[in-house]
Amino acid sequence: MKKLQTLFLGVLVIIAVLFAGVLQLKKQTGMSGAETVNIYNWGDYLAPDLITKFEKETGYKVNYDTFDSNEAMYTKIKQGGTSYDITVPSDYMTQKMIKEHLVTKLSADKIKGLANIGPAYLNRSFDPHNQYSIPYFWGTLGIIYNDKFYQKTDVDHWSKLWDQKFRNQLMFIDGAREYLGVGLLTLGYSQNTTDQAKLLEASAKLRQLKPNIKAIAADEIKMYLADEEGRVAVEYSGEASEMLAENSHLHYVIPQEGTNVWFDNLVIPRSAQNKKGAYAFINFMLRPENAARNARYIGYSTPNQAALKLLPAKIRQNQAFYPSQAQLRKMEVYQDLGQKKVQEYNDLYLTLKIKK
Amino acid sequence: MKKNKIATLYLTVMFIVLYLPIFYLIGFSFNAGQTMNKFTGFSLVHFQELFSDSRLLLILLETFLLAFLSALLATLVGICGTLWIRYTKKKVTKNALLAANNLLLVSPDVIIGASFLILFTVLGKVISGFNLGFLTVLLSHVAFSVPIVVLMILPQLEKMNESLIFAAQDLGANYWQTLTNVILPYLTPGIIAGYFMAFTYSLDDFAVTFFVTGGGFTTLSVEIYSRARQGVSLEVNALSTLVFVFALVLVAGYYWISQDGSSSRKKRKKRG
Repeated sequence: MKKLQTLFLGVLVIIAVLFAGVLQLKKQTGMSGAETVNIYNWGDYLAPDLITKFEKETGYKVNYDTFDSNEAMYTKIKQGGTSYDITVPSDYMTQKMIKEHLVTKLSADKIKGLANIGPAYLNRSFDPHNQYSIPYFWGTLGIIYNDKFYQKTDVDHWSKLWDQKFRNQLMFIDGAREYLGVGLLTLGYSQNTTDQAKLLEASAKLRQLKPNIKAIAADEIKMYLADEEGRVAVEYSGEASEMLAENSHLHYVIPQEGTNVWFDNLVIPRSAQNKKGAYAFINFMLRPENAARNARYIGYSTPNQAALKLLPAKIRQNQAFYPSQAQLRKMEVYQDLGQKKVQEYNDLYLTLKIKK
Repeated sequence: MKKNKIATLYLTVMFIVLYLPIFYLIGFSFNAGQTMNKFTGFSLVHFQELFSDSRLLLILLETFLLAFLSALLATLVGICGTLWIRYTKKKVTKNALLAANNLLLVSPDVIIGASFLILFTVLGKVISGFNLGFLTVLLSHVAFSVPIVVLMILPQLEKMNESLIFAAQDLGANYWQTLTNVILPYLTPGIIAGYFMAFTYSLDDFAVTFFVTGGGFTTLSVEIYSRARQGVSLEVNALSTLVFVFALVLVAGYYWISQDGSSSRKKRKKRG
């Protein structure tokens, strides 16, 4: 019995100490008791010092929760029980949440600084008049290559990926929409096509790409390219910018046929309790200096053109990460195609992956 | 002799396989560079980053607080549950209780998590002010830890010699005295093991926790997992190093607690 008493007493003491620590930390980080703004964001997707700055400026206390996928976030918002004031869905998920009335319409008069956002980033297909969402970050799908082995002209068209010289060299991001999308783009079709004949044509075309593919992978691509174990890869610009920072021989190119462009957007869920706080946060993030700080921290491209002016010239003038507005207009956002079509994409992709 | 060598070899290989990734991860937490690709020099910069990130520290403390507390509650509930199962007279009821207990162990975390989410959201509609947060995570952790505790204690209770209890009652012990002076001391090893099992389960659970977190409360596993989208930074390595060191302390504590008694028993024997 004595042993058990020691154990339980010890545990109780530890609990008390931890509890005191938690209280102390909470006191330090914010005025507990103040009105809160609940933010539900991707992990590590907002510079921590901006939260502190926002709290100091507005007097709100920020509760910051994180998720790892659009689907996970969607499930929790839809189920209720939480009252998030701000969340950050990607384009197709934004479309889905609007369709299902999970987000509130933004009132234009409460939003200050929308003019900072570049016109090419607004009125996209998932939210045609930006009635529900404000772009937060965006990026493209492109080709990253090592200049020790290839030149820019080797990869400036999607169709060039089929070339002999890439035999067993090409790495590809693991995703059905991305993989089939490249096939569709090469053939000059929309990446959102629902036409089965076009999809089959693209998959036949992609079968011929097979000998060139070294690996279909996810995060590992970053390491392979940086270590020069891989020489060329189809990747997202966000990942590409990290690789470029590590290895100066790497370059990122957006092929001329255009590509996929994605957006993560700030929205206010219907279940929000503190809409005033949510608007305050949106306005805070629209301010150029804050958006610029966030872009420096995350490394993705910001849609905030006023913020862009505050970024170093090296980032600002990089055509690969900030293509011209005209080029941007040509790029397509993946749309929510409905469950049946998504399944068709997935099935075709799986067959391509498995079959020799 | 030969057999022994093979056994040693096997064990060594197993330990290497199990521990190498952990030490690799810990090694890179001292990296001066920003990635795990190359070790560019020794530095404590990631620990500095970690200690200035008060949100992450808060999550660390809260995760441990949750683990200690939920394991404690689960152990208390588990002890009562074990006694109940053991001393249920009717065979059918007893088996039903055991089955209900085991069912929770077998069913996938995702299902448990999803059902808790539904339960809590329904409760939230009935009771105003009841939202997802620390309390909901605590309740669900206690719930999925109880079956483990029961499973750790029950075999020991089944093994216990009934006559010990009769002897105690013959000597005039009431129910409470029998419990605290005879049964619980006998069960101590199982209770300690149960506590630590519940603790580890709570510490590393992701699936259930993910569903029931909210209101600004998260645990380490949920937070680290959600950071994976952009690749995990070395700050997380530094954090893992701290957690590993803490785990070492815990294991030491476990041995200290479970050996403490046996050595004093030996002493008593010597004296006697």
